[in-house]
Amino acid sequence: MVSIKLQNISLVYKLHEKLTLSAPDRRVGGPGGRIEGSGRKQFVQALDGISFELKAGDRLGLVGPNGAGKTTLLKVLYGIYEPSGGSITLEGKVDALFNINIGFRREATGRRNIVLRGLINGWTEAEIEEKMESIIAFSELGDFIDLPFKSYSQGMAARLAFSMATSLDPEILLMDEWIGAGDAAFQDKAKRRMDELAEKAGIIVLASHNESLIDSVCTKRLTLKSGRVDSLTTVLT
Amino acid sequence: MIAALSGAVDDISRAIRLHRVWVALAREDVGDQHRRTTLGPLWLLVNYVAFVGTFVFVFQPAGKDAAGYAAYVAIGLLVWFYLMEIISLSVSLFQREESFIEGTTLPLFVYVMRLALQSIIRAGYAIVGCIVILFLSGSALNAGWLWSLAGLFIILLATPAVITVFAFIGTFFPDSQFIVGNMMRVGMFFTPVFWVYNGQDGIQKYAYHWNPFTYFLEIVRVPIIGGEMPMQAFTITGIMSLAVWAIALLLLGRYRKQVVFMI
Repeated sequence: MVSIKLQNISLVYKLHEKLTLSAPDRRVGGPGGRIEGSGRKQFVQALDGISFELKAGDRLGLVGPNGAGKTTLLKVLYGIYEPSGGSITLEGKVDALFNINIGFRREATGRRNIVLRGLINGWTEAEIEEKMESIIAFSELGDFIDLPFKSYSQGMAARLAFSMATSLDPEILLMDEWIGAGDAAFQDKAKRRMDELAEKAGIIVLASHNESLIDSVCTKRLTLKSGRVDSLTTVLT
Repeated sequence: MIAALSGAVDDISRAIRLHRVWVALAREDVGDQHRRTTLGPLWLLVNYVAFVGTFVFVFQPAGKDAAGYAAYVAIGLLVWFYLMEIISLSVSLFQREESFIEGTTLPLFVYVMRLALQSIIRAGYAIVGCIVILFLSGSALNAGWLWSLAGLFIILLATPAVITVFAFIGTFFPDSQFIVGNMMRVGMFFTPVFWVYNGQDGIQKYAYHWNPFTYFLEIVRVPIIGGEMPMQAFTITGIMSLAVWAIALLLLGRYRKQVVFMI
C-alpha cells in the first residue's frame, strides 16, 4: 500500500564557513531557515517538528514563503537529505522533479537524457526503449528530441522532465514548483496526467507558489513557515 | 564502525547494480571531451607519445642505455599520468557531480566508478602507445610482462579507494583541491618518473625511498625493464592499497549522507 508517514522530522545542518582573510559576512535573516550560533559554528534549522501522514490517492500541496523549507522537505522525502531527527516511513516507488538542470546532461540529446534517466532509475535498456516513444510523444518535442539538451528552452526542458518522471510509473511523485514553466496547453495535459496518477492510487506532493495550481491539483495543503508546519488543511474541490 | 562498514558496503553494492549508469556516463565523458575534434580520443595517444618523445629526446643518456631509457620513461609516464589524473580529478569529484548528488539518490560510489572508468579508458589509449614504444626500444615479450600486468592490476584495484579518499578530502577541505593539484604537478620531479635512481645520495635517495608513488611505478616498470619481480614494491603497494581501502570504506560509510550538505 502506498503511503508516507512523517513523525517529528527535523533537519539541522552546519554552515561550512571557509577560512578567509576577508571580513566575515554579517548579513543574516531574510529568507531561509533559522540560522543559529555564531562564528565558525553556525547551524541552519531547515525543518523542525514536521509530522503528517499521506495515504494512497492523496495530493499534497506544499505552500509557504521562499525559504520556508518546501524544497528541503521534498528532498527529505526523496532521500537526498537524511533527517537529523524523527522518523520517516515511505512505501512506494518514488520519483522526483526538482529544478530543471538537476540530473540532466546538457551536452547529450533529449533522447540520450531519457536513456540516462531510465538507467539511473534502475531500468534496463529494453524497458527504456519500450517507453521511449510514449515519453517523446507526451513531451511534444518532435524533432528537438535529437538535439542537445542545452538547446532547449526552460519550457521544453520542463516538458521533457515531466514526461520522463511520470512515464516511469512512480507511485509517489514529488514535484518542485517549476511545472509552471510549461505553456497553458501543457499544464492542462500535465494536470490530467497527475489526476490519472492519483487515481491509480499514487501520492503526489507538489511544492508551488501558484495558488490556482495547488487548488486545482491538490486535495490537501500544508503551509510551512520557517521550517515548521503552520497549517495542514483539506482543500475542498 | 560496523554500521559505517555496512553502510559503505550497501553504497558500493547498489553502485555495482547500477553499473549501466556509470559505464554510460564515463563513455560519454571521454567522448564529450573530444567532441568536434578530428582525431577524437586518439589525441590522448598523441599527447602521451609526444611527452615520452620529449623526455627521451632531452634526458636520454648516451651509450648503451639509450634504448632502455625510452622504455623506462614510457612506463613511468603511463603510470604517473594515470595516478596524477585520478588524484587531481577526484579532489573536486563531488563538487563537479553536485547537480546529480542534489537531484538523485544515486549512491556516491557511482560517481567514484564513473571517474575510475573514465581514467581507465583514457589510460587505455596511452597503453597502446606504451606497448609500441616498448617493442620499438627492443623489449621482448617475456614472463616479466605478467608481473607488470599484476602490478597494473593492483593499481586498478586501488583506484576506487584512492578516488573515494581524495574526493572526501576535497569535500571536507576545499583548499586541498589547490594543494593536491600543485603537489601532483611538482610531484613528478620528486618521483622517479623520468630520472633513474642508481643508489646515488642526496635528495634523490629520499625521493626514491620515501615516496609512495615510487613503488606504484616500480611494480609495473621493474618486471619489464629489469626482468625481475620486485617483491618489496609489491608488498608495500599491497599494504598501502588495503589501508586506503579501509579508510575509503570508513569515510563512505560514515559521511556519505553528509556530502550533500557540504558541496
